[in-house]
Amino acid sequence: MSRRFWETDWFGPLMVVVVAVAVVSILNPSFLSPFNIQVLLLAIAVNAMIAFSQMIIIAIGQMNLSVGAIGGLSAIAFAGMMEVWGIPWPIAAILALALGVLAGVANGVLVALTGISAFVITLASLSVYKGVNLGITEAQPFYKIPDVVKGLGNDTFLHPLPWLIIPCVLAALLLWYLLNRLPLGRSILAVGGNEHAAELSGISVRRVVIVAHAISGLLAASAGIMLVGRLQLGQPTIGDDWLILSFAAPVIGGAILSGGHVSVAGTLLGVAIVAIFTQVLVLFNIDPFLVQVVLGVLILWAVGVNRFREVRALKHSAQVAS
Amino acid sequence: MSGTGKEQSVGIPPAEQASGARLTTLRILLSNEFGLLVLIVLFAIIFSTISPAFLSKFSLYALGRTSAVNIMIGFSMMVVIITGGLNLSVGSIGVCAAMFGGLLMQAFAMPWPLAVCGGLAMGAALGALNGFIIVRSGLHSFIITLATMSIFFGVMIFLTRAESYRDISPAFTSFGRMKLAGIISPLLLVSVVAGILLSVLFRYTALGREMLATGANERAAELSGIRVHRIITYCHLLSGVLAGVAGLMLVSRTGAAIPSMAGQLGQDWLLPAFLGPVLGGTLLTGGRVSVLGTFLGSFLVTMLTTGLLLMQVGAFWMQTYLGLLLLAAVLIDMVRRSYLTRRKLI
Repeated sequence: MSRRFWETDWFGPLMVVVVAVAVVSILNPSFLSPFNIQVLLLAIAVNAMIAFSQMIIIAIGQMNLSVGAIGGLSAIAFAGMMEVWGIPWPIAAILALALGVLAGVANGVLVALTGISAFVITLASLSVYKGVNLGITEAQPFYKIPDVVKGLGNDTFLHPLPWLIIPCVLAALLLWYLLNRLPLGRSILAVGGNEHAAELSGISVRRVVIVAHAISGLLAASAGIMLVGRLQLGQPTIGDDWLILSFAAPVIGGAILSGGHVSVAGTLLGVAIVAIFTQVLVLFNIDPFLVQVVLGVLILWAVGVNRFREVRALKHSAQVAS
Repeated sequence: MSGTGKEQSVGIPPAEQASGARLTTLRILLSNEFGLLVLIVLFAIIFSTISPAFLSKFSLYALGRTSAVNIMIGFSMMVVIITGGLNLSVGSIGVCAAMFGGLLMQAFAMPWPLAVCGGLAMGAALGALNGFIIVRSGLHSFIITLATMSIFFGVMIFLTRAESYRDISPAFTSFGRMKLAGIISPLLLVSVVAGILLSVLFRYTALGREMLATGANERAAELSGIRVHRIITYCHLLSGVLAGVAGLMLVSRTGAAIPSMAGQLGQDWLLPAFLGPVLGGTLLTGGRVSVLGTFLGSFLVTMLTTGLLLMQVGAFWMQTYLGLLLLAAVLIDMVRRSYLTRRKLI
C-alpha cells in the first residue's frame, strides 16, 4: 500500500524541523554556525539511540521503563572496566554492550514467560539495575577515561560531523532494514499490532518479545557508552533523565503506543525536534528549566495529532468501505 | 472473581458455593493480607534478633513516620490503578502540592491549616487536570501522566527557581515531629484515617462502587448508567489529593518544602507507589482494590528498607532489593492465583 508522501509519519515532523530551523536561523544566525551544528548533532546522536531503544519496545506494544537504568549500568561498566581492570576500550565497549543485551534479555524473558505487564517488570528491573549501578559505584563517577574515547565522544571526523553520528546512522539504517525488510521485523510489528493474531499465524510471540527487549538493551547500552565518551567520565547518573525523552521522540515520530506502528525516520526527526527546541531555549537565554515543560507539551501535542490522524484514517476507510 | 479476605470486587459471584469452614479458612490463609501480616511479623522477629536497636522506641517511631508517607503514596497510586490506569505523575503532583503549601506559609504567611488546604487544592487541581486530559483525549493514562509529570515538575522548578521554602510554620513542623505515647507519629494516624475513609468509600458508597465498576469493565459500567468519564476524573482528582497529603507530610517531617524531595521529576516515588498496591493485591487491570493490603504492603516495604539499613547491608544496594521484592511479589502473586484457580477457590 503506497501512501502519498504528505500522509507519511515523517512528513509532519519534517515540516516542523524545516520551519523551526528556518525561523531560528533568521532570528539568530549563530544557530547554523558549524560549532552549533556539531553540538546539535552530538545531542541528536546520543538521544536517537535512547529513542530507538524505546521505539523497538513500543513496536511490540509494550514499554520499557528500564531504558535509562540499562544505559547507566552499561556506561559505568564500560568506564569501570577500563579504569579498574585496565581492559582496552574496544573490548570494554563490547562487554558493556553484551551487558546491555543481557539486561534486555532478562526483561524480555520475564515479560514473555510470566505474562505480567512489561510496565511492572521493567519498573522492577529499573530499580534492580539502578541499584546495582549505585552499589558498584557508590554514586562516585569513574574518571579515568582513555583519550581515544574522549576524542571519539567529542571530535569530528569531517567538520562539523562528529564521530558519534556514525553509530547513530548505522543503527537507524539497520533498524529501518529490520522493520521493513526482514521477517523478524515484520514479526515484531505483527506482535505489536495483534498479539493473538500473530500467535495464530505461526509467529513465536515469546521469541519476538525477547529479541525486541534484547535489541532495546543493546541500543540503550550503546547510548550509555556514547555518553561516557561525550561526558568524558563514567557518571552513575547517566540514564536518570532518559525516560521522558525516550517516549517523546518515537511518539512525535508517529508511533502508536498500542504497538504495531513505528517509524524510524519519524523517530529520528522527533529527536531532532527535541534537540532544536532545547537549543533554542539556550540560544535565546530562556530558562533551561523549561526543557521539561517543552518535552511534556511536545508529547501531549504529538499524541493528540496521532490520535487525530488515527480517527481520520478510520473515518476514511469507513467511507471507502461504504 | 469473588473477593478474598478484605478485598472487595465487582463481578460475578462464584458459580459454586465453596462449602465448609475449612475452605474459608484456607482462603483467608492464602489471602494477600494474611500473607503480608505473616511476612511483617516474620521480618520483625528476624530484624529484632539480629539488631536489638530495631525495637528501640526511636526506631519504631521513625518506622511509623516513614511508612505513613509511603502508605499515602501507595494510596495515591491505588485509587488510579482501580480504574485500570496509572498515574506516573504522583511524585510530581506531591512535590507541587508541597511547594505550593510551603509558598503559602512562607511568602503569604498563611496559618498552616489554610496553607495545607491550599496545597491539597493544588494536588486536586493537578490530578483533575490529568483526569480531564485523559477522558477528553481517550488516550491511555500512561502517556498522558508521563507528559504531565514532566510539565508539572518543569513549571514548578521554573517558578520556584529550584529553591526550597524553609520558613515553615513551627506548629506544622511540630505536628510532624510529635510523639504520641512515645512511639506513635501523628502522621501514621493520618494514614490510618485516610485508609479507613478509603475503605468506607469503596465498600459502602455508590461513588466507590462506581469507581470499581468502571475499572472492572468500563463499557459495561457505561451501559449500566455510570458516567465513566466523570468517575475516572474523580479518581485522578483523589489521587492528586492523596499525593498532596504525602507531599505535605514530608514537609511537616523535614520542616522544609524542597523541590528535590521526590527526586528528578518525582520519579523516586514511582517504586513505593506501585510496591504497596501490587504487594497488597490490587489488580493492575483494575476493578479490584484492597485498602488494607496496600496499607500492609507499604508498611512491609518501609520495614524492610529500615531493617536492611539498620543491618548495614549497604544503602547503595537498597534499590536493587526493592526491585527484586517487586519482582518476587508479582511472581508469588501469579503462582498464588493459579493455585487458587486450580483448586477452584476463586
